[in-house]
Amino acid sequence: MKPQQLTRIWPQHETVLLLFIIVEMSYFSLFGRRFCTVDNFTNIVRHSLEIGLLALVMTPIILTAGIDLSVGSTLGLCAVLFGKLWRDAGLEPWLAGICTVGIGGLCGGCNALLIAQMKLPPLIVTLATFSLFRGLAEAITQGVDAFTGFPASFLFLGSGQLGQLPIQAWILGAAAIGVWLLVHRTTFGRSFRAIGFAPEGALYAGLPVRRQLALAYVLAGLVAGLTSLTYTARLGTAKADAGTGYELFAITAVVLGGTRIFGGAGSVHGTLLGVTTLAVLNNGLSRLPNLMNIASELSGIVTGALLLLTLTASALPHWLKARQK
Amino acid sequence: MRSLLILLCVFSLAALSGCKPSEVASTTPVDGATNKKNTLAFMPKSKGNAYFVSCRQGADAAAKELGIELIFDGPTQPDPAKQNEIIENWITLGVDVIAVACENKDGISTALRKARSKGVKIVTYDSDANPDARDFFVNQATPEGIGYALMDEAARLCGNSGEFAIITASLTAQNMIEWQKHIEARRLAKYPDMKKVALRPCDDLKDKAQAEATILLSAYPNLKLLMNICSPAVLGAAEAVKQAGKSGQVKVIDLGLPNENKRYVKDGTTDTVILWKTVDLGYLTVQAATALAKGQLKSGATHFKGGHLGEFKIVGDNILLGEPFKFTKDNIDQFDF
Amino acid sequence: MLAVFAPNFFEPQPLLSRLASAAPKLVLACGVALVIIVRQIDISIGSLFAVCGTTAGLAAAAHWPLPMALLLSVGAGILGGSINGLLVAKLRLPSIVVTLATMVTLREGLRLKQQGVFINLPEGTQWFGLPMILGQFTLCGIAIGLLLIMAILLKHFSAGRFIYAVGSDEEAARLAGIRPRLVTFLVFVTMGALTGIAALLNLVQSPQVDPNSGRGLELEAIAAVVVGGVAVSGGRGRLWGVFLGLLLLVCTSPALTYIGVKPYWEKVIQGAVILLAVVADGLRTKKSK
Repeated sequence: MKPQQLTRIWPQHETVLLLFIIVEMSYFSLFGRRFCTVDNFTNIVRHSLEIGLLALVMTPIILTAGIDLSVGSTLGLCAVLFGKLWRDAGLEPWLAGICTVGIGGLCGGCNALLIAQMKLPPLIVTLATFSLFRGLAEAITQGVDAFTGFPASFLFLGSGQLGQLPIQAWILGAAAIGVWLLVHRTTFGRSFRAIGFAPEGALYAGLPVRRQLALAYVLAGLVAGLTSLTYTARLGTAKADAGTGYELFAITAVVLGGTRIFGGAGSVHGTLLGVTTLAVLNNGLSRLPNLMNIASELSGIVTGALLLLTLTASALPHWLKARQK
Repeated sequence: MRSLLILLCVFSLAALSGCKPSEVASTTPVDGATNKKNTLAFMPKSKGNAYFVSCRQGADAAAKELGIELIFDGPTQPDPAKQNEIIENWITLGVDVIAVACENKDGISTALRKARSKGVKIVTYDSDANPDARDFFVNQATPEGIGYALMDEAARLCGNSGEFAIITASLTAQNMIEWQKHIEARRLAKYPDMKKVALRPCDDLKDKAQAEATILLSAYPNLKLLMNICSPAVLGAAEAVKQAGKSGQVKVIDLGLPNENKRYVKDGTTDTVILWKTVDLGYLTVQAATALAKGQLKSGATHFKGGHLGEFKIVGDNILLGEPFKFTKDNIDQFDF
Repeated sequence: MLAVFAPNFFEPQPLLSRLASAAPKLVLACGVALVIIVRQIDISIGSLFAVCGTTAGLAAAAHWPLPMALLLSVGAGILGGSINGLLVAKLRLPSIVVTLATMVTLREGLRLKQQGVFINLPEGTQWFGLPMILGQFTLCGIAIGLLLIMAILLKHFSAGRFIYAVGSDEEAARLAGIRPRLVTFLVFVTMGALTGIAALLNLVQSPQVDPNSGRGLELEAIAAVVVGGVAVSGGRGRLWGVFLGLLLLVCTSPALTYIGVKPYWEKVIQGAVILLAVVADGLRTKKSK
């Protein structure tokens, strides 16, 4: 078969992933203990909300060929400040919540200023703010202070149900639709890809490159603020270590979802599939008899292997084509 | 268009898997099988930590004796959110009893209460949850007991006055924060001449602890004692003191496993290692948890017979393992864990 | 400034100990500098570092002769580096993703194998069997030696030019007769070998091996390289800058202890230092344009 033909019939990345999810689910349903239950699917959704939200807003950033390592730290800082606002400043939870999202936006704004305005490399800027924001959270609480005893109305955000579905499903669904529309159905969103594909070209084509870049990072900050609320509500406590390492999970999900790390190509539904794959994997592996004792380590190893595998698979036809040339 | 199709696919898939399960759940044959053999889920604060590996030895031994199924899993890094997720997964997995060492008291209690409301019995060990979130706590030593023991030992070695520094795992590790609180309280109450000059985190890494201790030794030349409250720090600090040629001059006291510390205790760098018998802790936890699941252990009991270890006292809802043990040059060779 | 606030900072023996403990970081940072100059990145080095250290530790504990154990560590590093290199150069996968994958895989694999249990090394391993002071000098010597060799290679030999060429424009480099993929592959292999060496330099400083070691080391090394003025867009940067960058970063935290700053502020200050360095660099390059 000629490589040209192969490229044509070779399934899209998203399709490969979808097939994998189906295989994965059937395997766990057959061999996993009580995998296929309503309760368990509720769990999967509830546990993937935070990573899911962060991965969703990471997608536009990576589309512009950027990266944001600071989202996990922003989450931690926001969680602590939310606790501070509610307990020490005596604000109502909803008001404190709105302020927290605003603070998240501010953190994102810091990144945006340095990256879009001063044109500094995103990897380094967010590496610095990764340390900075986490440090602030620790400094504010001296590492010791933890906030707890939130009112039931707030905890509902973490453990409640609306209709038949956990509240997380609604939030994730709404955010997914929002970001999907933004990226795939507005000129706004298309410009993200243009910037990632060819930043100079985008500039000459008259796109407001700076504003777009800034928007992507501010959005990430805002959503990290929101995520800190759902995280706090689910755990019932806010501490300076909240969300440690989440940035890597989010990036993994985005890349697994087929977004090119150099920008320019990728999709929000791909990211959703990536999040689903990882969430199902994490959950399913802990239900396989014989493997239960090593589930946590195994899920790391399988995630690594999966990343390489899917990337190789979707790069294969291009590779063959290039080779024939 | 294509993307929309895919989205549609995902949602229909989700819907499909959502409705199928109700029948599966009620008629699954696995249930019958697990009812006969109790399933116990045992969670460390983090995996890849030698302390919990030795707890697991005891847990495995007890599970074998009792003929129950033991699941051992936990986060790979100490992460409260991940602990909650694993607990919630275990609830739906249908385990009978959960034994857990809690990273974050308030955080995990949310998940544990949920488990209790579903009829799962809860035992905590190593570090407790909120009292209403568990049935029993296998108490190897209260934070107060540990804090006081460390401070008393420190004061004894320094002759009740002098500067000391603490090396901890991270600034946010909950149990270490509790210990520090009690160390400080004890210092204020009994040893006002002792002065805590520094607190340094080592990220649970031995190499970093060694570097931190080296710095402390030179930054505070009057330092008389290093107190290490996480087990990787112990070795790093002892090595740093030894390399600085200050063995004996700067005292080192630790919370750590005897096997790792033998070398330094024997050559006189480390004076005292304080710990409980970790293997017994794991063993007793599994014994108690199983008895609880079988209904042999009820709240209000005052004694509990923990397998080959004999009788243990119960105070309130705390099963007491006994006082923290002090390993010194004279007795450390008798222990192997 | 430091000398005023904290005279003890420059006490010879502790200073030597600190330098010795920074030696492995310097070796790593040199490697990362190469990788970044060739416009790639490697975040698996922290995990690979632990794997190399543990392998050598296990070998030494099994009473292999010391040189063999040391070689084994470098060998493990080269193996890990070649895997990364093959995936990046041959299959053309993005390096950040490849090394993200190898990072988790290696770390979790090691956790499965070793479960965090420390390895006791036999007598005579520490400081390569030399007296302590001599050992510490040797460590610093090896690290500085490697730095010098690589700096000279980069500047005065064609191999070094190739790296810059590939980093600044791959296509142009190819047209000029360089094989960019081979260069990239070799850079990753070098990175692996250097990781193995760094693991060794770390191993001999104490009588035990911590299988969890190296966590977060990749970020430290990257930060040092970037603060040292190496452009993440590839093709630009010098090793002496990396040396200074690392020196700045490894001095920050001890300096804070010496002046008695509470540890709660440490991460804030570290972040601020990186940020300042990048902003300064950004302004400088803007001006020079």
